[in-house]
Amino acid sequence: MEELAGYGNYIVSSLLTMGGIYAILTLGLNIQWGFTGLFNAGIAGFIAVGAYVFAILTKGPAAEHLGGYDLPLPLGAIAAMIVAAIIAWAIGKICIRLRSDYLAIATIGIAEILRLILKNETWATNGPRGISGVDKAFEWLPRPWGDIAFMVTILLTVLVIYLLLERAWRSPWGRLTTAIRDNEDSARAAGKDVETFRLQSFVIGAAIMGLAGAYLAQVQKFIGPDSTDPTTTTFLAWVMLIAGGSGNNRGAVLGAFLLWTVWSATQIVTGWLPQEIIVFGHPIENVPVRSTYLRIFLIGLVLQIVLQRYSAGILPETRPAVAGKSGKTGLEPGRTT
Amino acid sequence: MRKLLLAGAAALVAAGAQAGEIKVGSAGGFTGPIAELIAAVQTGRELAAKHVNEQGGLLNGDKMVLVIGDSACDSKAGVDAGTKLVNVDQVVAIVGPSCSGATLAMVQSVTIPAGVVNISDSATSPAITNLDDNDLVFRDAPSDAYQGVALAKYVLDSGVKTVAVTYSNDDYNAGLGKEFIKAYKEMGGTVAAEQVHEPNKASYRSEVATLGAAKAEALVLFAYYGSSGITIIRNSLETGAYTKFFGADGMVHEEIINQLGADALKDAAFTTSGADDTTGGWKAYMKVAKELEAPTAPYVPNAYDATFLIALAIEKAGAPDRSKISAALREVANPPGEIILPGEWAKAKRLIAEGKDINYEGATGSVDFDEHGDVPGIYSLNTVNPDGTFNVVLLK
Repeated sequence: MEELAGYGNYIVSSLLTMGGIYAILTLGLNIQWGFTGLFNAGIAGFIAVGAYVFAILTKGPAAEHLGGYDLPLPLGAIAAMIVAAIIAWAIGKICIRLRSDYLAIATIGIAEILRLILKNETWATNGPRGISGVDKAFEWLPRPWGDIAFMVTILLTVLVIYLLLERAWRSPWGRLTTAIRDNEDSARAAGKDVETFRLQSFVIGAAIMGLAGAYLAQVQKFIGPDSTDPTTTTFLAWVMLIAGGSGNNRGAVLGAFLLWTVWSATQIVTGWLPQEIIVFGHPIENVPVRSTYLRIFLIGLVLQIVLQRYSAGILPETRPAVAGKSGKTGLEPGRTT
Repeated sequence: MRKLLLAGAAALVAAGAQAGEIKVGSAGGFTGPIAELIAAVQTGRELAAKHVNEQGGLLNGDKMVLVIGDSACDSKAGVDAGTKLVNVDQVVAIVGPSCSGATLAMVQSVTIPAGVVNISDSATSPAITNLDDNDLVFRDAPSDAYQGVALAKYVLDSGVKTVAVTYSNDDYNAGLGKEFIKAYKEMGGTVAAEQVHEPNKASYRSEVATLGAAKAEALVLFAYYGSSGITIIRNSLETGAYTKFFGADGMVHEEIINQLGADALKDAAFTTSGADDTTGGWKAYMKVAKELEAPTAPYVPNAYDATFLIALAIEKAGAPDRSKISAALREVANPPGEIILPGEWAKAKRLIAEGKDINYEGATGSVDFDEHGDVPGIYSLNTVNPDGTFNVVLLK
């Protein structure tokens, strides 16, 4: 019985909570890449901004870093989104006209600049040591209810963002961004202001990533420069979106939960391995330590399998039906270009 | 092939169902930036568990099993590993994790709320000292705050009253540098210049020029030898800015003598969080740890002590009961009581059974926890001999 409760706790506080945060992140990336074709390789920077803004604004006074504002947590999360959006707007103003591969290079650079600023402005962020003791929503509730309430909050956030994005996807705005993605020149020829829409999409996506950062700071109750390491933020979010199905909101959410489960649960399985395995007469020693690398390998393997078997992701993009009065609709599914 | 797989599966099931196991979490950065260091640390933890199991096991002969959790030196992975160890594996207590960031995240979000004791064998951030932890967070690696103080005292004692300080911008060196500056000023020294530097640059001439302009008596540098330390010393010598150097842990490696020469380093001194090789604990450890590849590698003795202490605490508590470990840990680690040295599990088990007090004296020192769950640091001073070797003396 205790074991079952243990698995339950693990599913709540790791698989669903962290999986949910990655789902928020992947949905943010889906607006930028899936909807509009903006290659943002600087996800880590926006998460970092969101996480630090949240931590600084909601914490009580501390000698090591800026703080003492003690704002209510929802306000902190909103501020995290706003600051991430403002920074994205400034970046977008400068680089949004760049073609996708150049935009990728620019955003990698900018994300690193953001991370280095956060690491070096010690008076505000406590530098490389990071901010400890971040407030977490519902932590005053007894265990495990606090964790459950927090997980429900995150899953509700995922649901709300998902519904809003589905709505946007079917709206004229969503159809226009896909038009820009698929053929920028023809969208421009149709008289659309391409830059403005690209900028809107970039800013909205970044604000959502900032929100994911605010949740990340709460889960860890700590935020430091290493917490937003690009491998487990930028890279992992891209794998999740591509595997799940770029351009499909359901795919983005599925990819996030699936890959986080692979990442996290691998270790439960490797924990069952014996100390030494004999493969065709060759003993392999120290298996538990070595097998910690398995999950990195498995992420790559999942991506390979998905890309081989489902080239457009597990749930490929489907064109939204154009709302017609007659009710019968449509463009054919799948990308046309 | 099929048979082989089936046999493998059967073996797995058998391994999972062994009776009389007590699980202890072993968290650390098994992947990530310090993976090599942690592979050695894990051998120290495993050696302690082996000694326990060979000499009668825990409680009623139960086997002590270390369950690995990979905290990857990353706070996200630290939280994830902690959640798994506490909930899925239902460990009684946790040794680790290794990096300070992963430790801070794991203890605050997982182990403190769940009431699980953890002893980190290598997290040195001063932020861990004052956590609101219900007496659940311990460590047997000394806080950087103590090394900063020890070095500041040594620098002043050797007659140097003004220094220029530079530190590498990573959590370890930057933190240590700040602690040093604070302690040095409090003891009456003057810091003429303070300069942060980014590691892995090809040249530090501009930083050295700034530091040199302050005209202090010596340069104190906190850096890893490979990523910036050697280059800074070389640039200082080339420009004549400084010839006298002080530093800490990250600088002590033969490579600095190989690259700079013993002559250039005749006025250099570096502290390391060392071990007192005159104590009974250290001698006993060296005797029983012979089978390890690197018994004196960084934090390997700490790993042994931390694991051994958790075993003692479980034995003292009389049951694998999470809620009793914290109090039991203080009883077995701190005086009064009969001294237990590394490897002496059978003796400790007998004394506990007889209801006598014990006091573990480990490889790393007395491991007496203070009210914050910290241990006092022991530091040694490394100077360079003319023949190109390090001369190591204990700082008292």
